[in-house]
Amino acid sequence: MAETTESTARPLPSWAVPDSSDINPEALSALETYKKRDPSKVVVRFKAVGNAPIMKQNFYKITASNRFQAVIQFLRKELGWKAGDPLFTYINLAFSPAPDDTVSNLFKSFCTDGHLIVNYSTTAAWG
Amino acid sequence: MSNYGTTRHPPPKDPKNTDYHTTLFRRLSWEGTVPLEIRVDPNELPANSDRGLECYFMQAPRVSYLPLLMPEIRRFLMDVVFDELAAKGLKEEEWWFECDDGTLLKWHWPIGLIYDSHSILATIRPGSSVSGTMATPLRLILHLASPPTDKLLLSPSAEACKQAFMGQLKEADFIRWGNTKRMTGLRKVDQDGLWEGIKEHNFDDYWRVASKVTPTTAPGNRPQSPGPPPSSVSMHGRPPSADAGPPERDGAYNVRSVPVRIYLPDGPVIQDLVPPILEDGTPHTLAHFLSTHVPLLFPVRPPAPPPSRSNPHPQAPTVPEYAYPLIQGVLTPPEAEMAWLGACLAGADGWLNICVGISKKA
Repeated sequence: MAETTESTARPLPSWAVPDSSDINPEALSALETYKKRDPSKVVVRFKAVGNAPIMKQNFYKITASNRFQAVIQFLRKELGWKAGDPLFTYINLAFSPAPDDTVSNLFKSFCTDGHLIVNYSTTAAWG
Repeated sequence: MSNYGTTRHPPPKDPKNTDYHTTLFRRLSWEGTVPLEIRVDPNELPANSDRGLECYFMQAPRVSYLPLLMPEIRRFLMDVVFDELAAKGLKEEEWWFECDDGTLLKWHWPIGLIYDSHSILATIRPGSSVSGTMATPLRLILHLASPPTDKLLLSPSAEACKQAFMGQLKEADFIRWGNTKRMTGLRKVDQDGLWEGIKEHNFDDYWRVASKVTPTTAPGNRPQSPGPPPSSVSMHGRPPSADAGPPERDGAYNVRSVPVRIYLPDGPVIQDLVPPILEDGTPHTLAHFLSTHVPLLFPVRPPAPPPSRSNPHPQAPTVPEYAYPLIQGVLTPPEAEMAWLGACLAGADGWLNICVGISKKA
């Protein structure tokens, strides 16, 4: 089991394997708990900036554990944007979050009146 | 740095004249490097490559980013490994990195963060023989084609990385003050200077601009708080405290919130508002922060029982030690204050990254 070969095989991290030796099982189960995806949803409100088209519906409930990247993809789809069409997204008219920030983290830090406000633009606005 | 003394500096008159403990820790964070071993995927080596040499070792700055290392890696491969003719067909925009455990490396993560999170992961993998000493190089595999663009999230260009970096600085600014006025108030040449400072790994160039947007820790802006017990005085966790002066506008203890992210091994990244001062007026410590946000790994220590005749100096009961916090690769004492950490040990993008490692059974 304990192999320390030089191979380029790709063992997937597997916390479930019981013989993971001298690590406290409580710590491993704590990690498992924190890895569970948060199924709750938060309200995201899309707001067009500049010449960007306005959406008919602009409030959406989005699963909190999604990454911001998923929000961008969702928005592109709703707008009927093709790959390569420029779209810039911002939080609170202020900054572009990293695409791997989660909706949940952004909501906790930046929500306004119970919504996460996502501005979108066809040109770089607050670059 | 001429102002590294062995004795305490006199309190500066100008709040921007950063005190020497702060400069020392900022300098230490900045100068931190990590060892990398970069190996081209043997299946993707172009024809006639020199196979004995396809491995490149380097010491990379923690505050830098993978796209900024590419020119050096490329130069090595082109000069030493690749056949000139075969290399003509390679497109650098298709290159991407993977760790030898099969996880993709994101272009926009600081290298120190990549190193710490992967080193931690290696220590808890079943069958791992890594002892927890972190001096071994992180082994990266460089692929030369077919980047999984949807998972890498960003294009590999230095420009895309710079945009992501500026975004992180603005997000940190917003977290601290509720707006991005400090960042947007910088002239274009100064904003670019921040990135150039990283690219050239030049501490003075970077901090000439960064000091305009990073909170100060000058003596005098720290609130009065109950002092630490004499036994736990630690230069690591504490700014040189002085009498509380008038609150200072840019002070680390006056921010709305400290920009912090917790990275659990192979798990989620946790981010929340982190006020520098708790409701009871005491500074928010790392121990309090961790036991609030990841209580299963950092259990709250119950208070000590009241002193009695038989036990006049009772100790608080101990709690199991499941995990430990690493900041910039350094084991950080629990009494360290979040505001100070945010001002002195944050990355170049303004964020304090706390990587959580899992302790071995005693």
